[in-house]
Amino acid sequence: MLSRVADSVFWMARYMERTDNVLRVLRTNYIASQDEIQNFNWKLWVDGLGANSPVSELEVNGYRDAIFHLVLNKENDNAVIVNIIRARENARAVQDYITKELWQCINEYYHLIQDKQTEVSLLKNDPVTTIDKLLKESILFYGTVDVTMSRGEGYTFLNIGKFMERSLRTLDILELKLIEMVSGGNEAMHWKYLLYSLSGYEFHTKQYKNALQMNEVVHQIIHNTLFPHSVLYNMLQVERYFKRLDTISLPENFKEMEFLIGKSVNGLRYGFNSSISVEELKEQISHARKEIKSIAYKLSTLYFGYT
Amino acid sequence: MSLKDFISDYSPKANVWDEMCAEGKLRTQYQQFFDSLTQVSSNDFLAKDELAKKLFMSQGVTFTVYSDGEGIEKIFPFDIIPRIITATEWALIESGIKQRIKALNIFLRDIYHNQFILKDGIVPAALIYSCPGFLREMVNVDVPFDIYTHISGIDLIRDSDGSYYVLEDNLRTPSGVSYMLENRNMTYRIYPGLLPKNNVRSVKDYPDLLLKNMLNLSNVQKSKPTVVVLTPGLFNSAYFEHSTLARLMGVDLVEGKDLVVDNAKVYMKTTAGLKQVDVIYRRVDDEYLDPLIFNPSSILGVSGIYYAYRKGNVAIVNAPGNGVADDKSIYPYVAHMIRYYLNEEPILKTVPTYSLDNPEHFAFVFENIHKMVIKKTNESGGYGMLMGSAVGESEIASYKIEVEKNPRQFIAQPIISLSSVPCFINGKLQPRHVDLRPFALYGPEGIELVPGGLTRVALREGSLVVNSSQGGGSKDTWVLS
Repeated sequence: MLSRVADSVFWMARYMERTDNVLRVLRTNYIASQDEIQNFNWKLWVDGLGANSPVSELEVNGYRDAIFHLVLNKENDNAVIVNIIRARENARAVQDYITKELWQCINEYYHLIQDKQTEVSLLKNDPVTTIDKLLKESILFYGTVDVTMSRGEGYTFLNIGKFMERSLRTLDILELKLIEMVSGGNEAMHWKYLLYSLSGYEFHTKQYKNALQMNEVVHQIIHNTLFPHSVLYNMLQVERYFKRLDTISLPENFKEMEFLIGKSVNGLRYGFNSSISVEELKEQISHARKEIKSIAYKLSTLYFGYT
Repeated sequence: MSLKDFISDYSPKANVWDEMCAEGKLRTQYQQFFDSLTQVSSNDFLAKDELAKKLFMSQGVTFTVYSDGEGIEKIFPFDIIPRIITATEWALIESGIKQRIKALNIFLRDIYHNQFILKDGIVPAALIYSCPGFLREMVNVDVPFDIYTHISGIDLIRDSDGSYYVLEDNLRTPSGVSYMLENRNMTYRIYPGLLPKNNVRSVKDYPDLLLKNMLNLSNVQKSKPTVVVLTPGLFNSAYFEHSTLARLMGVDLVEGKDLVVDNAKVYMKTTAGLKQVDVIYRRVDDEYLDPLIFNPSSILGVSGIYYAYRKGNVAIVNAPGNGVADDKSIYPYVAHMIRYYLNEEPILKTVPTYSLDNPEHFAFVFENIHKMVIKKTNESGGYGMLMGSAVGESEIASYKIEVEKNPRQFIAQPIISLSSVPCFINGKLQPRHVDLRPFALYGPEGIELVPGGLTRVALREGSLVVNSSQGGGSKDTWVLS
């Protein structure tokens, strides 16, 4: 397939995945903040839920501000609306390649988030109702991909983008939680909300059958391959989909990528220790993130024609 | 509400051919249309109108208007009442267009090779050499199967007596065919079951015919030629059409930066390296096609593509240099071409045309300016024209100064009133002026037309300008069998 098209499909999937992650975290934190006596640190989440952006100049006083910045503020690079616009622009650039159903799905998501009514209900009424409505659209996206897209190269790049983005987001969210915890609060509650925002709380109670404790939570988030948001699970998916490119790739490109992905997977599997101090954990997170990003970078030079 | 009540308000203007009514009575084809509807009331039509708008929006059949750096999505205005063409009318249109395209294609072959038509004095040589669409680079270039006009859109209008006139030939990169297809898809949704009841012929074949022609054009020694659609990109107003056609034909949609020329062959950049391209349906204008030959600042084209084309390593659809045949100052000679090349009488009429570099014509035109329309020969989209009936003396005076500067660039034609059709506007049926653009496909197996085309409507009351950039909309076009 065309390099440009592969690139666009890859990024379309990444932006959609990012959208989904931001909404899930926002939903959980909003509920958490309703439950808390002390001031919830919204500023941290608004700045942190992007692609490692530095501390912004956005003013965040309370949850309505946070919702505005994270969902509707077009000036904020990490906002859901910006991600959806970008996903749609990418989809538009490959409209002939993706299915008509998929294009319509993203297009309708775009019109929903642009709708005045969405803004009003997010900022004036119960935000959870609207966030749920938005999340439904993103679930629809995954379903439409699954049911309508041909299992060719495009589908492969789409999935590589999706899983790579999800593993990065999981690392980010874990790191932000570690930062937030420094300022105190009930530790178990922190872990609980962290797992909620990754849709993994029920999973934890069923799998670990234990009171929440750091090493088990971190194990689930990094290592548990049954958990769809764990970093290792996602990188194994990246590996699995990448292997499908074997027959169509130039051999030397394939080898180089295969090495990088394998290195990252093994680093997570054998090099990432979940029973350590918070500081060491942060170091491991940033190392893992660096490795995943180098994969994305190589992909863009070897497969998407960037030089 | 009965049909009678619903259409009782409808009053077409005098001296205008109305497609629905004749002497206060419905024509048979529209009678049949209304009879096949179960309910006829303005509320029913209002609901259909709403549905159509919603569907266009959610399907993303839109164009973007940029203001203050922010894009606003708009849908192309669509009117829900179909324009209906009878089988006999279509037979005439079809044969007339085929004849015209055939002659124009021979003309292009001739003008870029032996130039018999100039030597025999049928068309003045000065006219050709002063035409901006004439590409010296195309002289003595042999194109595959001698076909230049693979895809053409011929604009037709009807005078007050109902006869069809050709208003314009579009032989470069005519657009609008995706709206023909989308408008038909809309009809399925808003009028369930109505198309078979009315014996409407299908337009669905268009992408298949186009693909078949392009596959046939490529080097015959290849079993599976690679066909692509070349678009200027996302920000082009016809981008929707480019991606629709690519999707319907199942071929890659490429931009200039996706292509590269090496050793006089064209390749596209894929995830698995370079892949050779055999046929390009380009929607990029001649001028931007190859920065090495034409506009050097173009980033929409591909360096070296023209060389590959001359070597015969890639087929380009439509051929470069077609602008010399659809120039407005060449238009009056097309009837002569048909007689000269085919020894036939033109089936479709042409509008009398005055070239303003002829002093007699110039004087005549400005004496009768209120009955005239002046157009620029190399502009399209309804830009740069002057409707003598619609403007004041001062505008005419300043336009006249413009014309005097370079009269070769202008032609004048008597204003033809254009036929009217009913449109559903503000809850009732109102007559609006229309034209018709059928699309003709010319491949190695001959010229084919899908039964239909794009009906463009001037939605402003009384307006005669149907271009979408000037407040025009469109309708589904039904050709009955």
